[in-house]
Amino acid sequence: MNTRTRRSILAGAPAAFGLAGLILSACGGDAGESAAPAAPSTGGAAKGAPVKIGASVSTTGSNGKTGQYQVEAYQLWAEQINARGGLLGRPVEMVILDDQSDPTVGTKLYEKLINEDKVDLVLGPYSSGVTQAVSTVTEKYKYPMLSAGASASDIWKRNYKYVFGVYSVAESYFYGVIDLAKKNGLKTIAIINEDTVFPKATAAGTAEYARKEGFRIVFQEQYPTKVTDLSSLITKLKAAKPEVLVGGSYQPDSVLITRQAKELDLNVKMLAFSVGAAMPEFGEGLGKDADFIFGPSMWEPSLKTKGNSEFEASYKKKWNRDPDYHSATGFAGGQILEAAVLKAKSLDREKIREALSTLETDTVLPGKYKVDDTGTQLSHIPVVIQWQGKDKPVIGPDAMATAKPKFPMPEWKGR
Amino acid sequence: MVTLVQVVVSGLLLGGVYALLAGGLTLIFGVMRVINLAHGEFLMLGAYASFFLFARLGLNPILSLFLSLPLMFGVGWIAQRVLISRVVRAPLLTSLLLTYGVSLALTGGAQATFTNDFRSVPFLSGALNIGELAFSVPRLVACVTALVLTGAAQFFLSRTRWGKALRATAQSADVALACGIDIDRARMIAFGIATALAGAAGTLTSFLYTVYPEMGKTFMLKAFAVIVLGGMGSFPGAFLGALVLGVIESTASYVTTTQIAEAVIYITLLAMLLLRPQGFFGVKEA
Repeated sequence: MNTRTRRSILAGAPAAFGLAGLILSACGGDAGESAAPAAPSTGGAAKGAPVKIGASVSTTGSNGKTGQYQVEAYQLWAEQINARGGLLGRPVEMVILDDQSDPTVGTKLYEKLINEDKVDLVLGPYSSGVTQAVSTVTEKYKYPMLSAGASASDIWKRNYKYVFGVYSVAESYFYGVIDLAKKNGLKTIAIINEDTVFPKATAAGTAEYARKEGFRIVFQEQYPTKVTDLSSLITKLKAAKPEVLVGGSYQPDSVLITRQAKELDLNVKMLAFSVGAAMPEFGEGLGKDADFIFGPSMWEPSLKTKGNSEFEASYKKKWNRDPDYHSATGFAGGQILEAAVLKAKSLDREKIREALSTLETDTVLPGKYKVDDTGTQLSHIPVVIQWQGKDKPVIGPDAMATAKPKFPMPEWKGR
Repeated sequence: MVTLVQVVVSGLLLGGVYALLAGGLTLIFGVMRVINLAHGEFLMLGAYASFFLFARLGLNPILSLFLSLPLMFGVGWIAQRVLISRVVRAPLLTSLLLTYGVSLALTGGAQATFTNDFRSVPFLSGALNIGELAFSVPRLVACVTALVLTGAAQFFLSRTRWGKALRATAQSADVALACGIDIDRARMIAFGIATALAGAAGTLTSFLYTVYPEMGKTFMLKAFAVIVLGGMGSFPGAFLGALVLGVIESTASYVTTTQIAEAVIYITLLAMLLLRPQGFFGVKEA
């Protein structure tokens, strides 16, 4: 071909490349299939038509890292249940898609799972934002859904009959921390949070509980997601002289707040973060600055709950890394679904819905699965961990504590 | 009063880092009239380079710059040679699409290679206290590094032959070609420098913030705001724009709330576009 044609084709190529990229991202759902469905391992007597269980979980996007733990847990559970003979004798086939941490994509995917893939049952996505959105879809098609990755109580305030909580609600995340603060005679508290669904719910619940327990809220402010600088906020907060600081935050902002608190010499007696603190990377990224910081955790490997040590060992073996609490809640979702199906003795979704509303069962999570008539989780309570050197032992509630809390948090300068 | 000074100082330190990222972006636009939507991803690559050099070799981020700067320069050079050069004279939309595609590819590649795990480098922490003012040590170090690098780039642009060649190409590529300047090479140098600066900004963010594949997007929004303020194509403009933006962000957060401060930034942007679209130092397009 002559130079002119070649040049024009070459010039077109990058445009096509870029256009392709644009189309791929706009397509959302189909572009994002994460892990392939787990092949049912037919050990034992699982045979017959597979039971398809669908879910969309964020494996890309801002919650991708956390969502990945939940996906791994779902797949581990499916593999194990198949090894035990499947669900009512039939092999389980997981169909897991990626919603890219986007609620809109999530709703499209659940529509697809229910209408096109014709899944028999569903499990929930990760994050309150996505869960709230997709629950409208599952409610419409009457698919009972265990929300194994969300906790904002708003999800259960809409009179829906088909959403069931696995985690305790976001509002209750800091109850253990407030209780500890009260026990140590503290009176003033500052609450800051990211302005998205889950942190807002955490902040609201904490504020209400703190007030009820006699605390004075000396400072409360929200900040935008993906914030790059909180020094002004911390400067103002410092002037209010709180004894306790609670951050309704995800990991990046938890790390940012800690760093800037140290830089601006903000000293409090207790510092706690909702999501970031319980993750191992918090300690790795902050080094010794993480010491003394508290955080709620839905699950810790040291707990002696149902099937926990086997869960931990098999997870590590299959995925080559330690599970975190999002893995545990995902796995618990599977355990609860299994218990409900066994109770209902059927795969009929109405019977399963019935079973889930009245079921009480143990899982790898602390406490028990039990919901009220709105589907809100009542008995799976978070434990409180505290960073003590390189470890983060459970320091409360007393029944599950493996170490004593170190109190108060010493001043930054003294360390 | 002291607190207000404190807030302004924080803003200036913040601006230093923005300047590094925005400087490269404006350079690319100036020399090639290409809007590089993948610039944030180069920041991300620089951040990962810093993290891995720290984790595997124990190099602190500032030292690792000696390795990552030439590496990122090379990445930029190759990117220009292989991809960007094809859209340099094409309509703006083509370059947007291409760089957006590159951005997606890099983000996806990073997610696949590095996973979405959050990383951070526990390098420096705490503050330097001078009287009643507290200067964040990591931010101070980052800002000084940013100043040194920006200064070096500015020196290159204004005092060296190749720097002049780049500026000539920015002014008019055809005339520069007619004068015997190798404009293809000039563009490769420009893209290389810009990418190296973005990578350096990434290195700085690795110990100030958290590293993850999508981190580029957060900073890109600010970088665009900066270059609009400073004037698209003006390297010194980007520097001034960054400092101004940092101070606005910091002060607005203090006087109102952090959420409202975001709006203030974009209102300022809007005002600049309406009142003086060429920014502080930009040249009105003929």
